[in-house]
Amino acid sequence: MLASARTFALLGIEAREVQVEVDVAGGGLPSFSLVGLPDAAVRESRERVRAALVNSGFEFPMQRITANLAPADLPKVGPGFDLAIAAALLVASGQLPPERLRGVALAGELALDGSIRPVPGILAMAEAARRLKAPAIAVSAHNAAEAALAGEPRVVPLGRLQQLGSLGTEDEPAAPPRPAWSANGAQPQGPDLADLRGQPYLRYALEVAAAGGHSLLIVGPPGAGKSLAARRLPSIMPPLRRTEAMEVLRIASACSRSLRSDASPARPFRAPHHTISTAGLVGGGSPPRAGEVTLSHRGVLFLDELGEFPREALEALRQPLEEGRVTIVRARHAVDLPCRFMLVAASNPCPCGRGEESGECECQPASVRRYRAKLSGALADRIDIAISVERPSAEAMGAAPGSDSATVRGRVIAARERQERRLGSGRCNAEMSLAELRRDAATTPEAKATLAAGHAQLGLSGRGHDRVLRLSRTIADLDGCGQVSGDHVARALTLRRRGTE
Amino acid sequence: MSDAVWAIRRGEPGYPAALADLGTAAPERLFGCGDRQAVEGHQLEHTVTVVGSRRASSYGRGVAEELGRLLAAAGLVVVSGMARGIDASAHRGALTGGGTTLAVLGGGADVVYPAGQRRLYGDILASGAAISEAPPGRRPGPGAFPKRNRIMAALGAITVVVEAAQPSGSLITTRQALDLGRKVGAVPGPVTARVSEGTNNLIVDGAFLIRGAQDVLDLLLGVGVEAVRRCGPPLEPDLARVAGAVELGSRTCDAVALALGASPEATAVALAQLELLGYLRADAGGRYSRSALIPPGEETEP
Repeated sequence: MLASARTFALLGIEAREVQVEVDVAGGGLPSFSLVGLPDAAVRESRERVRAALVNSGFEFPMQRITANLAPADLPKVGPGFDLAIAAALLVASGQLPPERLRGVALAGELALDGSIRPVPGILAMAEAARRLKAPAIAVSAHNAAEAALAGEPRVVPLGRLQQLGSLGTEDEPAAPPRPAWSANGAQPQGPDLADLRGQPYLRYALEVAAAGGHSLLIVGPPGAGKSLAARRLPSIMPPLRRTEAMEVLRIASACSRSLRSDASPARPFRAPHHTISTAGLVGGGSPPRAGEVTLSHRGVLFLDELGEFPREALEALRQPLEEGRVTIVRARHAVDLPCRFMLVAASNPCPCGRGEESGECECQPASVRRYRAKLSGALADRIDIAISVERPSAEAMGAAPGSDSATVRGRVIAARERQERRLGSGRCNAEMSLAELRRDAATTPEAKATLAAGHAQLGLSGRGHDRVLRLSRTIADLDGCGQVSGDHVARALTLRRRGTE
Repeated sequence: MSDAVWAIRRGEPGYPAALADLGTAAPERLFGCGDRQAVEGHQLEHTVTVVGSRRASSYGRGVAEELGRLLAAAGLVVVSGMARGIDASAHRGALTGGGTTLAVLGGGADVVYPAGQRRLYGDILASGAAISEAPPGRRPGPGAFPKRNRIMAALGAITVVVEAAQPSGSLITTRQALDLGRKVGAVPGPVTARVSEGTNNLIVDGAFLIRGAQDVLDLLLGVGVEAVRRCGPPLEPDLARVAGAVELGSRTCDAVALALGASPEATAVALAQLELLGYLRADAGGRYSRSALIPPGEETEP
């Protein structure tokens, strides 16, 4: 007898529908074959299904069993197909009425004792089930809250394989409550900006960066508070709007099997070590997996010791930074992953970290040059702000703490609202096109004069000019001004990343 | 400006008279790229040769650039060898000073060496010339640089060494300059720095001590004849205080803001204004330092 069940394969962060067809035929030697481009973990599914069925009190048919995962050209990885294969096998062998499975999507890994384990990507699968208008999705009880984030369809949390029989009946396990979305109410999460003491200008640079979505480079010796500052950036960024939160959750769901069932997640903060490979940073592998840029979508990607990162990895950041998404093409398929993140890079002044002026630096000029060349490579073009920091003195550390994250975030939100009124929902100054920049950055005569002086005295290039104007626009937004004044331009001149000699 | 190579034979009009001092060692022909007039109009007493280490410190590069800039602004021609480090800084300084600079190369005058200086080479050709005794197209070989050094030594009325280890190519140039009866000056450096060992030794041995462009001008033109233009536009008291804080070692915006108790926003504005006026410079990371410019009314500084 023939039966089929509906499940999903995860490609990147997207779920594609897979039909599991199982045929149980009498005659010949008993066998169990699995076809349809399964990887090793999927092929081993046969052993798990066999043991789980027997240990759940079902009978494993001693006949010729063929399971096909369609479409056959879509690569399938991981153990998430177990549940659907077992369900289809139960129907095909007459142990489960076919109407139990009608249209229902299933995703879960089987343990040998018949219990059901969570799998990654459940949120994307539940959303795909909703698009397919499936009546229900059956998942591991550990995945239930995550599946419920999709809203539709009905979620059936399964603890054990036996509970398949209850699908669509009164005995069906109750769906978990849908996690509530708390718009805007969320307090800043993570470490607070108040911890950053004695560095008022660094605080200001963070505020401008957060307000305009500008990428930031911090240069200074070890112990100057570079990563302390970077880690506090998410806490002053505006709260995620609903669609953004869903994007963050979808990515987190696809990349881990234990998602916190929280509908209002914090902005991600990722700080990969500098030994990371290019594929680890931007995504890659076959089948393609999300990299750090995607994991930091809508959040902050912090590259500490920028000069130590491999050159190829930094070069590969270009497309993601410019387009806000990364396309990974492999022989069999291409995957599009979102990656709209704020880049924060930190660097020592030279490889030894002490800095040329300290008098203790023993770096060769050539190695300092190589080190700095990394900062001025292709990546630098996408960095708007660069500031130098020093270890704060003891008295500066003892000074009264500055405003906390909630206060600063209030100003950032107000500045972002001004930007959205001009640019449209969800956009910020860092993403302005040249045309929008010309249209929106209305300058006072004084500001024009300052810009012209910058051009004449500082050798500001065309790009440099646009960068200053962009930053000035953000600074004016923070001040609540419609027009960019000379003071705004002057502050932008100090904050801007300068071309290297 | 032209990329075409021209040549001046010894004995032809336009061949710098200063090179004749080399006697039999004077180059037979001088090839050049760029402004031929820069060579034909060569005047020994208005030419300064600046040399120094390729492995220069940021102090040395800063001094060389400042020397080049102020000497060029005072109308002198700056000669150097276009190597990395001191040479490149001296050329660049002369170019920002709006003056003429001559690069004496080890290879052909049309061969950019080191290749990384292509941009500097282009700028030098636009307002001066690159010259060499090697035929066009030749790559510099071993021995080319000590040979070229004698031309540099002969072209300058004074040879100023900014940073040099002991021994070094720059010290060879000073010996050749002394043999030709030219003046030799050296910029002092920290006694702990290897790259200042050669220059400090030169001073001990009797070379002129060079603290800045004014010392060179006094030596060449006589004391008080020409003053380095170091006076900047007038400063408001607030800006003067910020400039003073940077001078006292506050190099970042945070440090200045804390030293003066000012808000970071106001400090950022002041720093930008001072940079625009030329009182401050910033490196790629946004660290500030004072330039040689001083506010009017304070010219008494050496």
